[in-house]
Amino acid sequence: MSLVKLQNVTKVYRTDGIAFPALDDISLSVEAGEFLSIAGPSGSGKTTALNLIGCLDKPTGGAIFLDDVDIGAGNSSELANIRRHKIGFIFQTFNLVPILTAFENVELPLILKGDMGKAERRALVEEILVDVGLKELMNRRPSRMSGGQQQRVAAARALVKKPRLILADEPTANLDSKTGEEVLDLMLQLNRKSGVTFIFSTHDKMVMDYARRLILLKDGRIAADEQREPRRQARDNGAAGSGGPHVDAS
Amino acid sequence: MLTLLKLAFRNIFRFKRRTIITFCSVSVGLALLIITVCLMNGIDKQSIGNIINCQTSHLKIFKTGYFAKKDEVPMNLTISDPDRICALIKNIPGVAAVEGRVLFGAGLIMGMDELPCLGVAIQPGLDPGLFNIKESLSAGEWLEPGDAKLLVGKNLAHDIGLSVGDTVTLRMITSPDKEDFSWNALELEVKGIFESGNPTVDSGQVFIPLARAQEALAMPSAVTEIAVRLDSDDENKIAAVQRKIQEALKPGKEGLEVYTWKDLAGLFLVISEMKTKRSAMIILIMLVIASMGIINTMMMAVLERTREIGMLAALGMKKWEIMKLFIFEGGFIGIIGSLTGCVLGGLAGWYLQVHGWSLASMGESIKKMSAAVYPVKDVFYAEVSVDVLIMVFLFGTAISILASVYPAWKAARLDPVEALRHI
Ligand SMILES: Nc1ncnc2c1ncn2[C@@H]1O[C@H](COP(=O)(O)OP(=O)(O)OP(=O)(O)O)[C@@H](O)[C@H]1O
Ligand SMILES: [Mg+2]
Repeated sequence: MSLVKLQNVTKVYRTDGIAFPALDDISLSVEAGEFLSIAGPSGSGKTTALNLIGCLDKPTGGAIFLDDVDIGAGNSSELANIRRHKIGFIFQTFNLVPILTAFENVELPLILKGDMGKAERRALVEEILVDVGLKELMNRRPSRMSGGQQQRVAAARALVKKPRLILADEPTANLDSKTGEEVLDLMLQLNRKSGVTFIFSTHDKMVMDYARRLILLKDGRIAADEQREPRRQARDNGAAGSGGPHVDAS
Repeated sequence: MLTLLKLAFRNIFRFKRRTIITFCSVSVGLALLIITVCLMNGIDKQSIGNIINCQTSHLKIFKTGYFAKKDEVPMNLTISDPDRICALIKNIPGVAAVEGRVLFGAGLIMGMDELPCLGVAIQPGLDPGLFNIKESLSAGEWLEPGDAKLLVGKNLAHDIGLSVGDTVTLRMITSPDKEDFSWNALELEVKGIFESGNPTVDSGQVFIPLARAQEALAMPSAVTEIAVRLDSDDENKIAAVQRKIQEALKPGKEGLEVYTWKDLAGLFLVISEMKTKRSAMIILIMLVIASMGIINTMMMAVLERTREIGMLAALGMKKWEIMKLFIFEGGFIGIIGSLTGCVLGGLAGWYLQVHGWSLASMGESIKKMSAAVYPVKDVFYAEVSVDVLIMVFLFGTAISILASVYPAWKAARLDPVEALRHI
């Protein structure tokens, strides 16, 4: 059973009566635990694909299954429920809530899920903040954190509810290359540690090198889909601070 | 729910300047509203007090038919045995004082000038128990029962040029009917000048002892009205005593009718009603101003936070949760603004209740205009009540919440994908 399955998916945008196919007949399946990159030049349809997989949007044609559930059938409230329970997002521009502290930002998805007491939430949030090496900064607001730190908070926020899938749309594009690598290291460690599936998009060669599987998009079509030996490994010092990430190599 | 509230509360401090402007427009608007309402209530209360204390007392008893013609001051519809009726009424619980009086049409003649006025014949010993004319003497002295003297309202005395000690001719119209018009004249000394604060009385009435009037009008021992003062201003009590008096008078048999001050103050109450309509207009304007401020602020907030809304939707926040978030935010501004408005308005109202609002500074013409409308002297006292404060607070909060609904709906309606693409 695949975690994500796209069957002949198309997405057509219509502006001023002119139809533009952003995705054209895409079929693919993603297994649980994959660390997958969707790559391609600007305008190739990466964001569109992630939005569809993330239940933020519906395809114009074809079908998308998440855990064998056809998401095309869901209404907006049902899709919100799927996102709330199964999917974490990391955005290019971090998108933290500026009026909340790092701790509160990470806690937010758990509150929305609504199945945990305060103490349980606190323990979980603190644990994940240790994992991303930001325990010391947990009472800071995003405006007083660097871009890399903010993106690590965003990663923690995506991961904290233990989703089946984390979608990251160009998570390193707004970071310098060193910080970008730190964030990727962190994502890889989290993938290894908890087995959560990552799908991230990029047009950066260095970032692609982290992927175990690379899907190349070109003009809304899949130009290549290859399993690959990762060129880069997670480095143990990674993004973590003194607490250090607790990673068991598998 | 708690999180949404917390989030909404913090959001209001995000754009401090805009929040403060909205907040001020709400609180200043509501404070002005409170001041207006409290002043109007105060003026009404003052006016009612003046009407009761100088003109109507709480209840009046007339011969059947008199009330309908009271503006003509008829002299043929009199109560012939007032002492017996007064004794009957005095025993009714709640009645504090009773006085038989005669009202008559009159003219005050000084040299070539004659000013029309209303003559009020009173019992100097009883009258102060019902009315406040004695208290409001500004010059001279109170009447004695046997005096051949009169008291004149301050404005009337001023208009015709009278002072205490002057002698004046009082022309008493004994029968105002057109066919049977007759009159009598008395030479009287001005014993005192009063200033009650009720313009109708001060500029149009003279007071003389009852015995003198009965003699001159050839109606010995008869009166045109019996005024009744109760020990409470309470409307329900007045109505209850009115019923008891009606029972005591065995309707029909005595040929007498009982009216409350409200029946007698007809014109004033019509004006008061008009004022209520006008204040409804003011409230409407405040409503529009306050809600425009909030709608504007919330629309800006939605616009500026578009991407954040997309992100919250991506985290799985549902449309109605997003909607609630913004409604709470507008509601918070409304609650805090209303609270501040109530405190400001309450304090200002309280100041005006204690110190009053003087029209003296606003010039003669305004003073004259207001005197034509309100039976009140030229200082208005506000009347602050908790009811008004609570009403205005609830009103302000409700408006703010209502005004947030549209922007909140706009936010909830955003397509998450579009919202996330927003720069
Ligand atoms: N809402 C929309 N309306 C119209 N056209 C759109 C819309 N969203 C995307 N497109 C178009 O669809 C195509 C694919 O867009 P998409 O954002 O998926 O590309 P991308 O691979 O993420 O590009 P980038 O690397 O610049 O982020 C682009 O040509 C874009 O202009
Ligand atoms: Mg993109």
